[in-house]
Amino acid sequence: MDFSLYDFDPAIYDEMFVGEGEPRDHCRAVVEALRELPDDDLNTIQERVTRSFSQEGITFTVYGDEEAEERIIPIDCVPRLLALAEWRELEAGLVQRIRTLNLFLADVYGDCRVVRDGVIPADVILGCPQYRLAMRGVNVPNDVWVTICGTDIVRTHEGFMVLEDNLRVPSGVSYMIANRKAVKAGLRRLYRRSRVQDVEQYGSLLRQTLCELSPGGRPDPCLALLTPGTYNSAFYEHMFLAHEIGAELVEGQDLLVNDGFVYMRTTSGLRRVDVIYRRVDDDFLDPLVFREDSLLGVPGLMNAFKRGNVALANAPGTGVADDKSVYAYVPDMVRYYLGEEPLLQNVDTRLCRRPEDLEYTLDNLERLVVKRVGESGGYGMLVGPHSTPEERDEYAKTLQADPADFISQPTLALSRSPCLIDGHAEPRHVDLRPFVLTGNETRIVPGAFCRVALRRGSLVVNSSQGGGGKDLWVVDL
Amino acid sequence: MLARSAQGVYWMARYLARAGYLSRLLELQVQFLVDRSVEEIHFGWKRIYRCMKRLPPPGEQFLPEADEFALADSFTLADDLTFERSNPDSVWSAIASGRENARQMRHCISGEMWTCLNAAWLRIRDLEAVDIWRTPEVFYAQTRSEIHNFVGVADATMYRGAAWRFMRLGRAIERAQLAVPLLLAQIDLSRQTERRTLGWASMLRTHHALEAYGRVHGIEMKPDRVLDLLVADPSLPGSVLATVQAAATELGGLGGGPGVEADAAARRLAGRAEALILYDWPEASAPEELLERVDRSARDLHDAVLGAFVDYAIEDSPLR
Repeated sequence: MDFSLYDFDPAIYDEMFVGEGEPRDHCRAVVEALRELPDDDLNTIQERVTRSFSQEGITFTVYGDEEAEERIIPIDCVPRLLALAEWRELEAGLVQRIRTLNLFLADVYGDCRVVRDGVIPADVILGCPQYRLAMRGVNVPNDVWVTICGTDIVRTHEGFMVLEDNLRVPSGVSYMIANRKAVKAGLRRLYRRSRVQDVEQYGSLLRQTLCELSPGGRPDPCLALLTPGTYNSAFYEHMFLAHEIGAELVEGQDLLVNDGFVYMRTTSGLRRVDVIYRRVDDDFLDPLVFREDSLLGVPGLMNAFKRGNVALANAPGTGVADDKSVYAYVPDMVRYYLGEEPLLQNVDTRLCRRPEDLEYTLDNLERLVVKRVGESGGYGMLVGPHSTPEERDEYAKTLQADPADFISQPTLALSRSPCLIDGHAEPRHVDLRPFVLTGNETRIVPGAFCRVALRRGSLVVNSSQGGGGKDLWVVDL
Repeated sequence: MLARSAQGVYWMARYLARAGYLSRLLELQVQFLVDRSVEEIHFGWKRIYRCMKRLPPPGEQFLPEADEFALADSFTLADDLTFERSNPDSVWSAIASGRENARQMRHCISGEMWTCLNAAWLRIRDLEAVDIWRTPEVFYAQTRSEIHNFVGVADATMYRGAAWRFMRLGRAIERAQLAVPLLLAQIDLSRQTERRTLGWASMLRTHHALEAYGRVHGIEMKPDRVLDLLVADPSLPGSVLATVQAAATELGGLGGGPGVEADAAARRLAGRAEALILYDWPEASAPEELLERVDRSARDLHDAVLGAFVDYAIEDSPLR
């Protein structure tokens, strides 16, 4: 692989190089091995990785006007490397953050001390559409509200930062495992030499974590993964995870509630379900409690959950803790609940609901990233430096119409990592999404779904917006 | 096993069996276009359409006399049965539906089965029509071979649980629902022609039974012997008897379904079809009447299986 034309920029943190042509210590061996690899070989590996995704049907579905189209997420075969010591730091920060968020959720659906003590304004919480009144006073198994969390992490010269906590139905973990499998097969010798930490135990850890939520500690609980169905863009992941954890892949129509217990229709009758890993949003879970027009959910499910007869992972209502307005208060929460300084920093965030923040945002639109509080997946946002004056004017009008629906953040120089583009190495911006599992304890596999903005100069890593994936190697070198 | 998953695996098997069977029929039929008479070609098309319980596209009446018309019409008909997306039974539709069921139920089948089927689907999806129509028999042979391959991979890799049995049940019911109408069409059409042996050899080839016939009955083509072999020989994997026996075996292995009445009906229907061939066939004076009874049983069996294991009334179901 030819790095001689690699566009190293000292202003942007590079994951592989510390200077022009100078690899970071933990990347040295891999860079040397990649340099020795002929371009043709690497291109062949790249083609093989792409083909393996197609052959195995690792796809997401896009629905057009006429028919569904299965697409694969483009995967770059050059791994992103992280030193084990760096990973340990990140891991400690993630554990601290998830402990905090679980305490916060127990609090906002309980005594609301965090509001009474003036840490977070009441309207930030109560005004959040993800705050579920139905969850007030509910006890969840083991006090675990967030069983599965996928935290978006970015890096700049200032270190790791949390971009978003995804606490509802985070997706992408199947790509972490599929990327590993495909890239490992292509770069066998390099993989072995690099002493890469394994991620393929994720399925068994997830199963163990879910089993720990079993109501009343019922042994050998029956697990089900609740999917919205084949039309959901993440259906492949639902199927993959159900297989990995030995759960039945169910839709709402397969479940029913009888006398406060949840059952699924099997070929030998109704069978009680103990733990549901739900990949259906709160709104659609139970038409008797949330959206009454939902056909994806199960009438009576919330009743069974509240009676402690079935565990739901994640618990309903967790969305209030990953709301983009509430996000701004997470460092304060860490100090409040744990009496510790946050190990992971937030991106500096301004809440447009505050007049001074709104004014600042409007004055600096060309430098900021502005996001809608309730949107995700890269939709509904303005990336100031990449926008035209007309787009900014238009966006400013929308923002002024409902300021509480927006936050703004500085445009970060996300770190970059080399990618194989048109046969040679080019830097592209990356982030990473590690997956944090919490049952009786918190478990994190040393790896992540690493997202990459494949368009030159783009900062948007979402797959729906032209992003791709990379394998993340946590190396002990 | 989740009822909806069982249904998905069952339908996967049915669609793939349909695609494989139709591919075989069309493979032989397009071979006829090279050197057979117009009468024989039309005979073949009529038999296929009756087997599929479908009418040919408007305008194709099987009437043209000249060879060039026969050829042109044949490609229209082949296209209708191969790529027509509005035809749920076309080869393309059946493979797409089989693969879609497999995609939704891939946690119930082995990874090798999925990869095998997906590779076949990707090949077919990416083919250009011009490549197919240049040598259509190659396309049909390869498609059929890929489905055989899938069945073999399933045999070698799939766990012998409930999903396996529902898959085998789906395959057996589909084969019975195709083979019996094809035999009925053959009996009826051959009576309408002066050439009494017309079509019987291709019936043997359709069911991969030409060599077996030669071994059992010698080289002389006698319609009643062909019929005997294809209906009642338990050693021929594609015979009607072997097919209904396979359905009865899988049903027996599944244990009772929660839909008690439908379950009893399913077992009765499979047993009756088997008994008809075992005990009544040798003395049957009107074979088509008996085959029509088997045909009805095979159709009713489908409803009974779904009623027993999938669409049962919840009130009757035991809680576990």
